[in-house]
Amino acid sequence: MQESSDEKRFYSDKLKHAIHMLLFKRGKMPGAKEWELKASIGKNYKQVISQLDALLSDFDLQVKKVEPEHHQNRHLEEQLETTDDARYFVTLRGTLAPKEARLSGWRIDNLAALTVAIAYIVTKQGKAPREEVEKLLAEKVGRWKTLTLLDAFTRNGYLKEDEAGSLSLGWRTLSEVNLRDLMTLLAETGR
Amino acid sequence: MTSPSTKPERVRLASGRKDLRELIQTCEAVRERKFNPFFLDVALAVETLRRYFPFWDSLDDHCLDAQTINDLAEVLNLQKSQLRYQSSALYTAPEVLEKKLRALSVKRLGEIFLKSWHPTVEREQLTVEGIREGLRYWDQMISFEERRKRLHLGRAAPPTPTDLDSLVKSGIMTREDFAKNLSRLWEQLRTLTGEDGSVEYWSFVRRGTYEETVQRAYYVSFLLTYGFAKMIRESTGMRLVGLDTPTGKVAEGAVSYPIAIPRASEPQVAQETLM
Repeated sequence: MQESSDEKRFYSDKLKHAIHMLLFKRGKMPGAKEWELKASIGKNYKQVISQLDALLSDFDLQVKKVEPEHHQNRHLEEQLETTDDARYFVTLRGTLAPKEARLSGWRIDNLAALTVAIAYIVTKQGKAPREEVEKLLAEKVGRWKTLTLLDAFTRNGYLKEDEAGSLSLGWRTLSEVNLRDLMTLLAETGR
Repeated sequence: MTSPSTKPERVRLASGRKDLRELIQTCEAVRERKFNPFFLDVALAVETLRRYFPFWDSLDDHCLDAQTINDLAEVLNLQKSQLRYQSSALYTAPEVLEKKLRALSVKRLGEIFLKSWHPTVEREQLTVEGIREGLRYWDQMISFEERRKRLHLGRAAPPTPTDLDSLVKSGIMTREDFAKNLSRLWEQLRTLTGEDGSVEYWSFVRRGTYEETVQRAYYVSFLLTYGFAKMIRESTGMRLVGLDTPTGKVAEGAVSYPIAIPRASEPQVAQETLM
């Protein structure tokens, strides 16, 4: 009995520590790297994260694991292997209603522009020349706003620009946006 | 003197190098997603490599050959990714999706995004190190009065409230949106162009006051830069042509062309435009 209570207490401390690591932003990016969690919580960190995920579900939150970029192009079997540089975040489990959109700090027309940019990049298999994205976006929100918005999306991690001027999906899009849902919804709309 | 037997070989070498460089450029364009990966016929490219391989004699030629093979391998990899992507649930034909993105309203697009968006929950906070850094910065900063003294600006005037009229007057804000002003000027230009489809630059730009003229010249420079109009330079002057289908982007190879805006009794002001 004592052992069981000890075990519960042991997990309770680790859970608190894990949620602190995941919620409090320490550097440029939120969340915690897998190796940080392992070093701080111990070898059973995956059980702790899994328990935390179950607890957070009551608050419509979830723990999300995002693989580093160089692992995302690998085969599924390879992705299942553990990688210490994966990052864990806490994200909303459900979605925001249109009325709540402002809570995120983005206006609905800016989110529409982000949809256009992400969807276009996805159809180009994850990479598209910036000029093409600009041209398409300019039709929606105007040329001057397009330039400002693309910079804002890049700064916030939704998009990434390389030296050749190509745009790709940033870490935030990969962790926050369910691309499958987005593309399905776009495909279904207007049918 | 070149012997007749070596001349065709040289020609072959030169055309081989040219073909390989073209292949490398195409591969690069495919990598940058300017073309579909299947745009490149890899079998034909390999055949080209095979044809020229016996003629390579220098290290540079072999390096070019190796680079082409490497680039072709990347294109093959992209072709594989494309096939995998097309068989996945994420696939939508790019043309269909582009049409849809153009047709859907901003509101509908925003709603679709919200249905697939799970924003990160994060909390920003001050850390002890952050507070220390802030304190260090504050301690090292010279007071505002001290900084003013260094610039010999004299005593600062007390702050006063401002209004839109003052901001407009000082040129910080305009009453109308910049984009609207541009669109209006573009419409004017297209309306004013005569039978030959052009209008004389100064007759279009010059207005009653110097400020108005400078402002119009400033807006015209944007119309030219972003392909809404083009300028024709003649021996007698310059003419503007309003384009019905603007490119909306800076033209490649555009050059900056300064135009002085003279006024009778004051020094000339130069305004630069891209042509």
